[in-house]
Amino acid sequence: MTATQLRRPPAQHSRRPSGQSAARNRIWDAGPLTKVVLAFALVLSAFPIYYMFIMATRTNEEAIDVPPPLFPGGHLGENIARLLSTEDAYFMTGLINSAIVSVTVTVSVVLISTLAGFAFAKLRFRGSKILLGLILVTMMVPLQQMGVVPLYELMVTLGWTGQLKAVILPFLVNGFGVFMMTQYATQAVPDELVEAARVDGASTMRIYLNVILPALRPGMAVLTLLVFMQTWNEFMWPLIVLNPDNPVVQTSIAALNQAHGTDYVMLFTGTAASVLPLFIVFIAFGRQIVGGLMEGAVKA
Amino acid sequence: MTLHVDSPAAPPRPGPRRSGGRRGPKQGGGWSRFDLRATPYFLVSPYFLLFAVFGVFPLGYTLWVSLHDWELAGDKTLVGLDNYIELITDEAFWNAVINTLGMFVMSTIPQLVLALLLANALNKRIRGRLFFRLGVLLPLITSVVAVAVVFTQLYGRDYGMINWFLSFFGVDAINWQNEKWSAWIAISTMIDWRWTGYNSIILLAAMQTIPKDLYEAAAIDGATPRRQFWQITIPMLRPTIIFVVFISTIGGLTLFTEPVMFDGNPTMSGGATGQYQTVAMFIVKEAFRDFDFGYAAAASWLLFALILIGTLINYSFTRRIGGSK
Amino acid sequence: MLNNKRHGKLAAVAVMAATALAITSCSSSEPAAPAAEGGSSAPAEPVTITVHTFGGGENFGYDKAVETWNAANPNIQVKYQNLTDRFEDVYLPQLLQRLQAGSGAADIIALDEGAMGLMKARPQFFTDLAEYGLDSRKADFPAAKWDNGINADNKLFALGTDIGGMTMCYRKDLFEKAGLPTDREEVGKLWPDWNAFKAIGEKFKAANPGKTDPKFLDGPNTLYNVILSQEAPKNGNVAYFDKNNQLIIESNPAIKTSFDTVKDFSEAGLTAKLASFTPPWNAAIKKGAFATMGCPAWMLGVVSGAAGDDNKGKWDVAAVPGGAGNWGGSYLAVPKQSKHPKEAAEVLNYLTGKEGHVMAFQEAAAFPSSIPAQQDPAVADLKNPFFNDAPTGQIFGASVKDLLPVFLGEKHAQVKTAVEKVLEGMDQGSVPYDQAWTKFLEAGVKAAG
Repeated sequence: MTATQLRRPPAQHSRRPSGQSAARNRIWDAGPLTKVVLAFALVLSAFPIYYMFIMATRTNEEAIDVPPPLFPGGHLGENIARLLSTEDAYFMTGLINSAIVSVTVTVSVVLISTLAGFAFAKLRFRGSKILLGLILVTMMVPLQQMGVVPLYELMVTLGWTGQLKAVILPFLVNGFGVFMMTQYATQAVPDELVEAARVDGASTMRIYLNVILPALRPGMAVLTLLVFMQTWNEFMWPLIVLNPDNPVVQTSIAALNQAHGTDYVMLFTGTAASVLPLFIVFIAFGRQIVGGLMEGAVKA
Repeated sequence: MTLHVDSPAAPPRPGPRRSGGRRGPKQGGGWSRFDLRATPYFLVSPYFLLFAVFGVFPLGYTLWVSLHDWELAGDKTLVGLDNYIELITDEAFWNAVINTLGMFVMSTIPQLVLALLLANALNKRIRGRLFFRLGVLLPLITSVVAVAVVFTQLYGRDYGMINWFLSFFGVDAINWQNEKWSAWIAISTMIDWRWTGYNSIILLAAMQTIPKDLYEAAAIDGATPRRQFWQITIPMLRPTIIFVVFISTIGGLTLFTEPVMFDGNPTMSGGATGQYQTVAMFIVKEAFRDFDFGYAAAASWLLFALILIGTLINYSFTRRIGGSK
Repeated sequence: MLNNKRHGKLAAVAVMAATALAITSCSSSEPAAPAAEGGSSAPAEPVTITVHTFGGGENFGYDKAVETWNAANPNIQVKYQNLTDRFEDVYLPQLLQRLQAGSGAADIIALDEGAMGLMKARPQFFTDLAEYGLDSRKADFPAAKWDNGINADNKLFALGTDIGGMTMCYRKDLFEKAGLPTDREEVGKLWPDWNAFKAIGEKFKAANPGKTDPKFLDGPNTLYNVILSQEAPKNGNVAYFDKNNQLIIESNPAIKTSFDTVKDFSEAGLTAKLASFTPPWNAAIKKGAFATMGCPAWMLGVVSGAAGDDNKGKWDVAAVPGGAGNWGGSYLAVPKQSKHPKEAAEVLNYLTGKEGHVMAFQEAAAFPSSIPAQQDPAVADLKNPFFNDAPTGQIFGASVKDLLPVFLGEKHAQVKTAVEKVLEGMDQGSVPYDQAWTKFLEAGVKAAG
């Protein structure tokens, strides 16, 4: 994650007590209502995830008990065993495929977006306004949904159906990424910095590598998170173009949900397993992610 | 994150055109000029090449297909605007449009209100700040199918936790899938659960750029926190709010995964009478359940038109805000 | 836990499976194993034959059959994947899509009888099984089952698996609680026809008046299909389409009778308002939320698979009201896109042969369409332990004797799925009862269009 390489601490100017009178500061202190709101939000955010993990430790009979179980049971091991032995859901294949697809798409989109964003924000070239306008107009178009018919025919013609490249390539077109990086570069990179590098004889590519990329990192962190999650969660297109023996994680969970006599606990074990890798990354780099997200949000 | 659509900052003045000096012989004037002129195109070319293949081609081809009675491996007959004419009188299509818009409104407005409240709360001084921020972001990093599966289980008619909870208030077991209103609520909560925390963090970031003096001055003038929120916070956040709405417009108008999973099976019908079939589901159903590619393509273009209208509304808002700055 | 035979494996198996999964991708590049005993004409390289099926619970019941084959044929390894519970609106369109795309379909695909009309009309998608000598199997099957596997080009493209003779499944424990008889002979005598069945339903309801008490029936779908399977033979042996593939949904009395009966049961509040082959329906089977369900043979495997071993012995099988009928029953075919049609035909021959049929009946109660299998003592004398040791071999053997398969038109599956949506909506309340028939017809006409 690029977020780990954050150079600057997250923007948090309002956090710093200005050292003025206590009365002025008090308006920033959390009152009881605030605490209740936050606690409630936290419970609501965590509960469905908690429930998912509870279900993964229960039996199918317990899973549909009324009242529903609220605490862990002792069946996690057998549920995992069943998940893995249910070969025809190809769950592990799906998990690995999703990792491959998401990482490839994310790295490519961030790269493509920073390159183009740099050009649009800091370089002068003929037609740049028209090209940027084109991106602005088309970034709202959900290409993979709107173009589902021709994209599918394209994949059939190329013989790519059932292959991972069929779910990678269409997602490399991400106008939002270019737009966001353009905005970010415009604000985060002073023109003087670029000029100074030019005076020193740096080529455009060198400026990109030495000046632009380091300055764009917080924005790249946000884009990374957004693109990764978007790709990881893509469901419609993989459902159409991939085959059941080579799924991505979302279609694999959908397969667990149908075809297996509604084995709820195995399904929930699968869903829990599908979010676990993301959670580990999230908890390990939580501070950087929140910081990057906030800094990226202000600048872009 | 704000959404200014004004063109980027003035491009840098081209560097001094001295040749020789510190530059090596290979980086003489010719190369330098070439670098300045050509490299920008090289930088933007990956995007536009991909865009041509996976953007322009699908859009154009969709239009072409939509004018045909088109089967995947069968006949392709030019029928002109027939698909469109049939579509605008197709109740099922408009039902899907209404569902999509309904769920969009039903999810976006509460989401925005909650995100604002949450951002305001997160902006207060409290111990364990990072913990809370991470906590509200947690839903974003779950898998969307997993979320839909969990919520569908929670909303189960017979063994779902929500009906069990409601039973304490004397509410009979609700078949959430059965009615439009209940299905829309259920699906909207799935969307809101995932995105409210993220939006609150974005709004929080914007809130922290509002000068504190404004609040402190207002406090001295005796303005209540509620008044400060409405008179200072909201106006200052308008660009960010519009950005948030803009992003949820894209997501909302292409809503697919949650309603598909809410049905239990990917039948694309969205309930017995299409109570929660969205336009995206309609398109997939026409194309990949009924194999009427031409009809699906026409529906795609109408979806595009819808999104365009949504964008234009957003855009005009943005312009107005940009102008008033 | 859910002790689906397929999935109730232990950790050791899981580890093996995970390892197997990890090396699957490179398995084809492994050195060819020496041809083993029992393997018919072994090719030089090991070949993987994929089998795609559909259906809830135990679905096709091929776990043991595939295991047996794989042990005996190291050079032709079969991978059996059940794709979904739902045939008409998930499996079939996805299959059609992959057939049209020219890739992605399995080497052997399962087809429900409802799609045979559609597939017969598309011979370009399928391998001619006669090329691999399977036309020699003709004597094994009843004429109608065999003829349904001949397509528009007069080629043999599919062989029969099971047939769906009709019974009524019931929860013994719930019957006992409601003060009804529990012995399968007595239960069968309770309901000579559907009116009698409804009277028993009212009795059951009176004994279970509470909101969360079990209901008499699951929902509209199973009841509708059972009755239709009985009514169609009385009306020219056709359902939604006549033999010229013209839609007769409005004029065929079989449809209207079936619809009216379902509406009647639904209005009387005898259903649990569940759509079949959905997660809540499966959960209700597990939970015992309804007492009876119309059961073609293969449905027994669906019930036992969905209910899990904890419910073993709670269900039983009795005679169905209204007499004989056939619902469902499937076929296996080899798509033309298969890269190993010869080996696929071999596996298909095995799965539709006596051995495959017998094992499928033991595992998933799918009653064999093959005559030698029907006559085999392993089938004829089989008692189903899940269903309280009901002599299912004998019951289904008797029920299929004089069956004449109903003609199902080319678009049968599409119409079926569309009209049943209306039934579900009617039962659950989103379609008012007084509009249901009109909407039912509209949906059917639109789907056939």
